[in-house]
Amino acid sequence: MSDLNELHLDALTEVFSIGAGRAALSLSEIVGDEVRISVPSVQIINSEDINSATLSLSNGRFGAVNQKFSGPFNAEAVLLFTEEQALKIVSDMMGSQMSLEELAEFEHEAMCELGNIILNACLSAMADILNLTLESSLPDYTVASADEILQRLKEDSNQPYVMVLHIDLAIEKRHTAGNLVFLLSSASLTNLVTHVDQFLGNLS
Amino acid sequence: MEDISNALNLGLIVVDAEGKVLLWNNWIAKYSNIKEANALNRPLEQAFSEPVSSAFLAALKNTLEYRLPVVLSTALHRTPLPLYSVFETTRQQARMYQSITITPIRSQLNEPCCLIQITDSSTSIKREKILRSHSELLKKEAITDSLTDICNRRFFDAHYEIAVADAKRQKHLLSVFMIDIDFFKPYNDYYGHIAGDHAIKQVADALKAQLSRATDIVARYGGEEFVLVMPHLPQQVAEQIAEKLRRAVFNLAIPHINSSPFHRVTISIGLCTGIPERDDNLLNKADAALYQAKQKGRNRYISLPLCESEEYLEQ
Repeated sequence: MSDLNELHLDALTEVFSIGAGRAALSLSEIVGDEVRISVPSVQIINSEDINSATLSLSNGRFGAVNQKFSGPFNAEAVLLFTEEQALKIVSDMMGSQMSLEELAEFEHEAMCELGNIILNACLSAMADILNLTLESSLPDYTVASADEILQRLKEDSNQPYVMVLHIDLAIEKRHTAGNLVFLLSSASLTNLVTHVDQFLGNLS
Repeated sequence: MEDISNALNLGLIVVDAEGKVLLWNNWIAKYSNIKEANALNRPLEQAFSEPVSSAFLAALKNTLEYRLPVVLSTALHRTPLPLYSVFETTRQQARMYQSITITPIRSQLNEPCCLIQITDSSTSIKREKILRSHSELLKKEAITDSLTDICNRRFFDAHYEIAVADAKRQKHLLSVFMIDIDFFKPYNDYYGHIAGDHAIKQVADALKAQLSRATDIVARYGGEEFVLVMPHLPQQVAEQIAEKLRRAVFNLAIPHINSSPFHRVTISIGLCTGIPERDDNLLNKADAALYQAKQKGRNRYISLPLCESEEYLEQ
């Protein structure tokens, strides 16, 4: 943990902001309207210290899009939105007159796609900027409560570190806040830091 | 291997790093109406006879460049590739709804390629449409009064709560009209229940015909009682509407031998207009006004303002 300083976090915020920009561009093309995504902050925490406040999780149910990726470092990426927000995003994206309940049929697949676009954009930005190659699984979509999500994050002792990106997504006039969580092993975190160091070294 | 890909009930395309077609299974050949021989070794966007959606091409380009898998959902894309379902009965063609995944793979020679899987999602869409039409029907039934076809009490209660909350928040006027058919029990006793039901239905239709704005609703409140809720009406206008409602029912000229002095079906109306502060004020006030209208001789409206307690205006 101590080997990750402010500079590293700034660099990562920069990388993910570029990813967010790419994701926004792809989404805008699909929605046919302006989509803005920003990453106001990146945090790295011990998974034991994680709680609903760090993730700004409220009560209620969350939609989680999951992709496992591997390469110089392995991680599991989880994109979290409240279920209600997830449904609104999908309905905004579809521009449909369907009510939220009626969207259920499409929600699963559309959320997979939304998560896939955001995750892939972040991964491809990392690949470009940190000069590495990452492979990834196809996305899964699950709906779970905040407790279930936290439980899962804490349980996984192989991946003691959690990188949390707070994400703001705006489609048309609606703002949505979500979290992108990366679960990392110690070795993977070290490798990530190495790549960030190389990137920073190339800059100076 | 080729047998398997051709036997699959989903579309498979493999393209190489340049986007040229390496595999084109029978399913794709069938629904695109393009034979494998005509597609192989051509760039994917040229293999089809019609353009491929730009979102699909962008996704494919991304997968080729970054080796990351991509999902294209039916919800957001519908028909990215020019594939057609043929309906046996009508022989009509319709563009197929598709769900697509694009995955980076390696060929037997260890060269990077992309596997594109396409499934027909029209069955799930059809199912969704059926469920939606059922749910719409059920929703309509759940809020409609079966005799009069106007809104029922359940809908009114929910709507009233929202209308009051809106009026409170935006500080605008809300009018509630409580309406009761005069001497309805004697009508039922004399003409019978079937005629009674018919009279209720005619009155409901007459009341409904007086509404012109989407924000106004009329509901059956109880047996022969109705309630109307209308926002944004100055008291004077609300009173004119009350009079229109009274006249509309009077002009139906439904004979009622036991109703003096007009011997026809009439209504009494209690009206209350105001900016609500507490939840139940308007409804209670309108009910009190209705009671006064009955006391004063029926076939009339009484209008009570929300704030002052005892004053009333008579037609």
